Amino acid sequence: MKLILSDRPIHVALPDDENIRYFNLSALKISNCVGCFGCWTKTPGRCVIRDDATKVYPVIAQSDEVLYVSHVKYGGYDSVMKTMLERAIPIQQAFIRIFKGETHHVQRAVALKQATIVAYGELTEEEKDIFTRLIARNAYNMSFASYNVLFVEESKIDETVEKIVRTWQKS
Amino acid sequence: MAKIMILNGSPRAPKSNSKRYAALFAKYCSIACTYFEISKSNHAALRSEMEKYSDVLFVFPLYADALPVGFLNFLKFLENNPPTRKPVVSILINCGFFEYNQNEIAVRMMRLFCRQNHYALGSVLMLGSGEAILDSPFQFLAAAKIKQLAASIVSRSYRVFHVTMPLTRKLFQLASTYYWVQYGKKFGVTKKQMQTMEIESAGEVRSDLGH
Repeated sequence: MKLILSDRPIHVALPDDENIRYFNLSALKISNCVGCFGCWTKTPGRCVIRDDATKVYPVIAQSDEVLYVSHVKYGGYDSVMKTMLERAIPIQQAFIRIFKGETHHVQRAVALKQATIVAYGELTEEEKDIFTRLIARNAYNMSFASYNVLFVEESKIDETVEKIVRTWQKS
Repeated sequence: MAKIMILNGSPRAPKSNSKRYAALFAKYCSIACTYFEISKSNHAALRSEMEKYSDVLFVFPLYADALPVGFLNFLKFLENNPPTRKPVVSILINCGFFEYNQNEIAVRMMRLFCRQNHYALGSVLMLGSGEAILDSPFQFLAAAKIKQLAASIVSRSYRVFHVTMPLTRKLFQLASTYYWVQYGKKFGVTKKQMQTMEIESAGEVRSDLGH
């Protein structure tokens, strides 16, 4: 499974392939995580908030290629993407493992991923550096086997996505 | 006159560990502190209130390696609606992992926010094992650092502090497993059930291609 998760509409003719899924998060209804730990301790693997996030996080878990498109704010994902990523914690367990010398959550049935992050916004070098380091940390907590961060102008997003999807079709 | 506004940025503020950390801070602080919780609907009221304080202490947990989104939204509100008088911003951040330094990206984000929006940055306390430390025999270590944090803000001799449980990672892992098993028991959920590898099905809903 391959996943495109974007905080804005992507205007690209995507292949008619059921293994490529696309979510325009800006068109979905996704509430903030309330930090109840229900998905770890009451209904393990299932969020208690039954909104559109429940369609997305199972696909995040299943995907071995992910392409995230996000505006960057203060060196991190801006609100739309961050809201979804916080709602994806049902794919982890409460329990801790030691991974690469640090403590992290045990993952449930989550595929190892090749991740590409397309980041946009008017960004300084410092913001780019913070964001790149954030993705390095995400790699530990979000099962990225590898990752690539691309900083692009907003006007180049569709073109960038199209190129990446083409490489998926070739692989 | 110096006075401190404590702002809890936890998504579960009324029931949060951040609330407990904030209470400890207020207990140990020698000047007046007032506690507030950030919610979706009170950004404007908090901004107006902020103008009355010399210092703000943001208390929040690490979420997905960064700032919780509700808190991020409050910072964005402040950017668009700045208070006329800007307090010094200090930070008390906690993560559930053993390593306090997993908070560093979020602290860099806060430094950036402060610089971009012309707030002076005060002291920072990064807590590791922040989910459980207050219910452990090491509660006193967190309390001692919070006391130092408060003193540094009052004296305006700003510093960066950190603390975690004095355990090996393996022992921390065992202690956290015990903590979560007890947590699940409150809801009648066993360790084995909590360890399920299954994630609910996405169903058959096709995504919104082309929209």
